[in-house]
Amino acid sequence: MIFNELSNRRTFLRRMAKLSAMAAATAMFPGIMFPNEQLAAIPNGSIDWKKAPCRFCGVGCGVLVGIQQGKAVAVKGDPKSSVNKGLCCVKGYHSIMALYGADRLTKPLVKENGKYVEKTMDEALQLIAEKMKETIKDYGKDSVSIYGSGQWTIPDGYVASKLFKGCIGTNNVEANARLCMASAVTGFMSSFGIDEPMGCYEDIDHANVFVLWGNNMAEMHPVLFSRLLDQRMNRGSKIVDFATRTTRTSTAADKSIMFKPQTDLAVANSICYEIVNNGWVNERFIENHCNFSKGLTNIGYGMEDKYSFQDKPEMIDFDTYKEFLKDYSPEKVEKISGVSARDIKYMASLYGDPNVKVMSLWCMGANQHTRGTWINNLIYNIHLLTGKISSPGNSPFSLTGQPSACGTVREVGTLTHKLPHGVVMNEEHRKEAAKIWDVPINNIDPKPSYHTVEMFRALDRGEIRFMWIQVTNPMVTMPKLKRYRDAAKKEGRFIVVSDIYPTPTTDIADVILPSACWIEREGMYGNSERRTQYFEQMIEPPGQAISDTWQIVEVARRMGFGKQFAYKKETHIEEIYNEYRRFHDNKKHNMAPLEVLKSQPGAMWPYVDGKSTKWRFNAAYDPACTQGEFDFYGKPDHRAVIWQRPYEQAAEEPDADYPFWLNTGRVIEHWHTGSMTRRIPVLHKAMPQAYVELNPEDAMKMGIQNGDPVKLTSRRGDIILPASINERGMPVRGQVFVPFFDEGMLINEITLDAFCPISKQPDYKKCAVKITKA
Amino acid sequence: MKRLFIIGLFLSMVVAVFTTSIFSYQTSKEGANVVEQSNGILLPQEAGVFERFYSSTHYAEMPMSDDSGRNLDDYYANRAYYGAPPYIPHEVVDEISIGADNCLKCHKNGGWVPKFEAYAPVVPHPEKTSCRQCHVTNKSEGVFKVNEFQGARAPQLSITALPGSPPAIPHALFMRENCLSCHAGPSTPSEIRVSHPERVNCRQCHAHNETSVSINNVFARDGYQVDQ
Repeated sequence: MIFNELSNRRTFLRRMAKLSAMAAATAMFPGIMFPNEQLAAIPNGSIDWKKAPCRFCGVGCGVLVGIQQGKAVAVKGDPKSSVNKGLCCVKGYHSIMALYGADRLTKPLVKENGKYVEKTMDEALQLIAEKMKETIKDYGKDSVSIYGSGQWTIPDGYVASKLFKGCIGTNNVEANARLCMASAVTGFMSSFGIDEPMGCYEDIDHANVFVLWGNNMAEMHPVLFSRLLDQRMNRGSKIVDFATRTTRTSTAADKSIMFKPQTDLAVANSICYEIVNNGWVNERFIENHCNFSKGLTNIGYGMEDKYSFQDKPEMIDFDTYKEFLKDYSPEKVEKISGVSARDIKYMASLYGDPNVKVMSLWCMGANQHTRGTWINNLIYNIHLLTGKISSPGNSPFSLTGQPSACGTVREVGTLTHKLPHGVVMNEEHRKEAAKIWDVPINNIDPKPSYHTVEMFRALDRGEIRFMWIQVTNPMVTMPKLKRYRDAAKKEGRFIVVSDIYPTPTTDIADVILPSACWIEREGMYGNSERRTQYFEQMIEPPGQAISDTWQIVEVARRMGFGKQFAYKKETHIEEIYNEYRRFHDNKKHNMAPLEVLKSQPGAMWPYVDGKSTKWRFNAAYDPACTQGEFDFYGKPDHRAVIWQRPYEQAAEEPDADYPFWLNTGRVIEHWHTGSMTRRIPVLHKAMPQAYVELNPEDAMKMGIQNGDPVKLTSRRGDIILPASINERGMPVRGQVFVPFFDEGMLINEITLDAFCPISKQPDYKKCAVKITKA
Repeated sequence: MKRLFIIGLFLSMVVAVFTTSIFSYQTSKEGANVVEQSNGILLPQEAGVFERFYSSTHYAEMPMSDDSGRNLDDYYANRAYYGAPPYIPHEVVDEISIGADNCLKCHKNGGWVPKFEAYAPVVPHPEKTSCRQCHVTNKSEGVFKVNEFQGARAPQLSITALPGSPPAIPHALFMRENCLSCHAGPSTPSEIRVSHPERVNCRQCHAHNETSVSINNVFARDGYQVDQ
């Protein structure tokens, strides 16, 4: 039409005449406007583009949100962001639509005689404060708790920790990140003494080989996976997929290696065996920068109430470690793991080749593991033995699943044993916290209380009477769900849920608070590569919704902690962030000032002398290093630890009665429990419901066809799902896979609440089920 | 004298041997000087501009009807908002694939697809091979909950500064640097099909004028006062 219009003489003349008339009029009467004509020519009216980190996963893509007349109308990737360089995934591009579901919660609801009654925000907050005070009076301070999230912004988590740990004096602060990256934390702490990856996403641009440990990156970290694919195309890097299920990632990888669930422990040790036996060890690196240790073995699975475990590390020498590895020759491990000795040797040779830069990437496969801490340690072992760490392209990289799992849960420390800096057990750390929080030091309890699973068990037992749940949906995500749902419904339990939509968790609430989401308020997230990113408030939240931060501040004030929560409404985010920064005022963890975060797409801590640190522990990049070329300053002796960790069986393995492994996980379209993404029509239509993936041979044997209803039974219960054969993924024989996003088909009804004794993170990837055609 | 000269020469050779060996030993201790291959694309904004130039003359010669089976309304209908990645309006056989080997068979160069009785649209960014990262299928009708989102709308066509002057490019160029993939060829909606595909240096005449981009710190010369 454009060109036809000009080639058509009549249209051209008409248009010409109109424009000349307009020009003449403008000349004769300055200031005269032809609004329709002129506005029509401007595309989009005026869209104001504002930067934010994406709302969804832990990659932390920079997005530009288009705002028009007070509404978010478009999204594009921020080309200035070094994370995603302008590209997003389908969830990111449609993220703003999650704000406009017709059933947004807009008014506080309070349950009265079994029915929800609308209240004003003021009434609801007053009720929560009174209920908390009353519960503390009747049952003690450890009867109240808060359960937050890796989707909490930094200020949300900070005020929650300050109120509960500092003011009320209970360590009942946990977050759903316990279900998602606790093993990564304990892995870092035991190997390096300080949390979070040493490298950054730029490693992708330098690495020659990517080894993905049980990580379906093509669906779960799609933007980073595209960066991997770009590097393969531009530089010929290799992608090795090491997994228990054939996925989209496998189809894209250069090599896909399948192992039996839980045997990654054996394979990792076998890789180390090969490295040691072939003389690929970087002797100088080991000598100068590493120690060897072993911990307790046969450590259990935490399935019983009040289970407790404390590892006892013991120093060993290299020879003892070598002796230990002898049980893990590729030929022996082949029998345990189902991975051929040849494939093990192949993987070892990639790690062992001194001219190849290797990046290992993992997420839930390694973390949601009853030996999650161990497998994290073992991957670090491989990188430490070969010295392939803390330098561009050589990087063991633990990915996260939530936008601020690192920023809020790990850095602010919203876990029962943590403080914003350090742990509650340490007196110095308590003193520092008490000083910054302006509370008496005795307020901070030196004893950690309940980790997430145990917190819900305590709710069941009646030790916890009040729970405030923010930005998370435990009534979909808790393993062995039925027990914990029944617990929450028990008489004498009071549950407050802050959320943006009705979910199975709001169903059990006594008070529902409507929250402001993402760009409806101001805040910061911290992503997997230690990058803290700021977003301003761009649009108004609906109805009476307010931010989670402000909900907590208001309740704290009503409980009598006005002195500690004297923030001004207009500037509270800035005040809170500046207060929080005081905890990390050192070269190892300094956070960038707010002005810096406002002016650029985030900054990576430690932020020292106006610069982000890309590679920690490497003296060339990290100003906190004081000794030699590499300095693992997290440990008192400045040495990283190579751990002797054996292979041990899973908590529940298939047997004659329950012959299949059940693995659970996610899909690209939906984010976690789908309470946001299922309300985005594009995503819901692409992935409308959960399913059970079967191996085609298993299905054929049982006469199950695609779409047939299949009944999955475990020792916890049963569930019926449609079969999916040869679609999104293909489990190996003897295994099935079910995504957990669908609140209509809750797979966690039948999963097991076994967890890693060190990290207390449950294993959602392994339990035993039987399958029948329904 | 001669002897001194020879001794001197010998000494200097010894010194030279030492210095060279020490020097080479020192340099050997440094990391190997490996030239890093280029990470990524040079000038991303310009990459792919001439990507499809080899088709341009064919496009120019092809007789094309105004009805390409797809008009601009169809084009916008499978996007949540102007600029959003379109969903896949047809079924896909291979759910597990990232797309590289499948989608690109038809969408790299386009062409008539008898099954759908349509010309396959050409992807402007074939170098991004994880297609299903952004483009999802549409497997079911109906929604989980009603959504009231109202997205950004497309600009009016034919934005010209002057009558007859070349229209500006109203959309973002990221991943759409190659104009011909969407503005030429039989799959293109006729409303946005270029009349002169053989002129491949599009941005010679068509300025990028995405007025929706807010630019910080635009340079502006201070005005000056003229004394009357």
